Amino acid sequence: MPTPLIELRGVHRTFKKDNQRIRVLQDIDLSVYADEILCLVGESGCGKTTTGKIIAGLLDPSSGAVLYENTPITALRRDEQAAYRRAVQIVHQDPFASLNPSHTVGQILSFPLVRHRMYKTRAEIRRRVWELLTLVDLTPPGDVVNKFPHQLSGGQRQRVSIARALTVNPRLIVADEAVSMVDVSIRISLLKTLQRLRETLGLTIVFITHDLALAKYFAWEGRIAVMYLGRVIEIGRTESIIHHPAHPYTRALIAAIPEADPSRTRSKERMMLRSEDIPTLTAIPPGCAFHPRCPYFVPTVCDRHVPVLSSVPEYEQHAACIPLAQGDRLIPYTADSR
Amino acid sequence: MEQQIVLSVRDLAVSYVTARGGMRAVNGVSFDLHRGETLALIGESGCGKSTLTLGLIGLLPRGGRVESGHVMYTDRAGTTTDALTLKGEALRRFRWAECSMVFQAALNSLNPVIRVRDMMLDTARAHGETNTAQVTKRALELFRMVRLDPERVFNAYPHQLSGGMRQRVLIALSVLLNPQVVLLDEPTTALDILTQRTIIDVLKTLRAELGISMIFISHDLSIAAEMADSVATMYAGDIVEIGRTDDMFYRPAHAYTLGLLNAVPRLSIEREHLDSIPGSPPDMISPPTGCRFHPRCAFATAICATPPPVMTFEIDHIAACHHAHQVIHAAQGLRNAHSVD
Repeated sequence: MPTPLIELRGVHRTFKKDNQRIRVLQDIDLSVYADEILCLVGESGCGKTTTGKIIAGLLDPSSGAVLYENTPITALRRDEQAAYRRAVQIVHQDPFASLNPSHTVGQILSFPLVRHRMYKTRAEIRRRVWELLTLVDLTPPGDVVNKFPHQLSGGQRQRVSIARALTVNPRLIVADEAVSMVDVSIRISLLKTLQRLRETLGLTIVFITHDLALAKYFAWEGRIAVMYLGRVIEIGRTESIIHHPAHPYTRALIAAIPEADPSRTRSKERMMLRSEDIPTLTAIPPGCAFHPRCPYFVPTVCDRHVPVLSSVPEYEQHAACIPLAQGDRLIPYTADSR
Repeated sequence: MEQQIVLSVRDLAVSYVTARGGMRAVNGVSFDLHRGETLALIGESGCGKSTLTLGLIGLLPRGGRVESGHVMYTDRAGTTTDALTLKGEALRRFRWAECSMVFQAALNSLNPVIRVRDMMLDTARAHGETNTAQVTKRALELFRMVRLDPERVFNAYPHQLSGGMRQRVLIALSVLLNPQVVLLDEPTTALDILTQRTIIDVLKTLRAELGISMIFISHDLSIAAEMADSVATMYAGDIVEIGRTDDMFYRPAHAYTLGLLNAVPRLSIEREHLDSIPGSPPDMISPPTGCRFHPRCAFATAICATPPPVMTFEIDHIAACHHAHQVIHAAQGLRNAHSVD
């Protein structure tokens, strides 16, 4: 296995709210390899954005380590620290909030170039700004460079966000729900731009989304990590996760998603959960956090022991489910099965 | 369809007054809604979906005005009235008792300082139903139907409920007075996958048990595929295509519908050849002439700057497109390409 570009080792993260400690991430081990697409998928509150921010260095873990090319980022020299900061950039979800409304597109893109002293003359900076706009398909650049964010559509703004992330020649981009705020009709073109940039610039992408169909489309050649209540519960190649989900939660997600194809979506096999209630982060169930809802719950096992990600017989990917890891067949739980 | 028509909308036009002048948000649309039918309105944001539904029950925001048209509503007794002519008390009775609405953003639609029970009882009282015991019984029954713990939710304040639970409370509230028609604006948007699944299943149950007709707005084609009997595609204030769900998904005849279908990934299809629709929706103050979609359309020719012909295909499948036959052909080609994969 090659060395990961970024590695999270035993990362925990808690937030304080009303004198309560909320465990948002628990024991995350995650590697991001150069040139790959890694999708973080999960429902709201699962910790996918927090994970993305920790990867991007915008949040520190409460405990555990973040490694950049095998060195903990806390042990990086000053210049290495700066290199890490430049290497990892983030594209936020909301292009209406993430661009300064009082700056023109040209200003938004030149500030990082000036700040990092990447070019000497104004002409060079200007040329680079035009080049960046061309890269993200905002052509001709002259049409947008003097515009303010409010004069652009949501899709165009998100392209500006991507161009801004590219200013410092990053190696990895964390795209946090980068297309979920734009209209369905133009999502694919944004994803195609990202995909093309990945190929031409050799970028690594961490793609955060709640939409499994989108993850499937974007990361078919990559990997998916499914998160639930602060833990990664399944990780593997996109194809194996989508076609042969192992963890009951992943299975439930895939069974629940409606598809834009009437006969497929109406004949899909459903999975009934034992409970509709979503546990809160302030009261995460003991053992496997999914056990109160899991149709394959095994009493005294799933509610007592925290499962760790491990290989599963007959599956290619890793999953955190004790009955699966023991090679047991998943049997639907009934009240009288003790 | 042989079922009775409950809502017959003809040439409905709605406009807004804006700082830059008048704007036609809904440009003379017509459609029928049958008893027990679910109709999905799809289209990009700003296409007039919400304005259309608000226009149906006279809830347009300030500056909005129904310019022309008829909304012929037939009640259970078989009496037909034009809902647009209703005023005062009659309009108030029509709303909720005959035609109710579930608004987008469940968090904002519930009064945070009163309990769910009072919201239910107040709604019933406002429509002359003062028998508290009877309303309570009905409410609890509906909560069970939408898979909520009846006793707990009935006495709860909105903040004690999760987003998905609040949405189900609103759905229960919308059918409290047993209306014939329920309008739903993006009923599952912003909900998590498993919660969304619950809402879809709950809506299906209600529809089956109560026999209500639904019009729901969604930007999500997959929900339309699963829930709807018919689908109407809206673009820049027009219904550009309407038909039965299967025809719309498998034999689209309007280039815009085809474009939308071709822009959404499907989980179960391995490698898809997807593409976005280029450009963005037009400025509604000065929309393009002829087919309003033509500046973005891959099929467009010079003729598209003239009003498109309205063509009928399978039963009840209507599209307004100059190049409908080419679109049908292209859609067939795409479908074959996917089934080969």
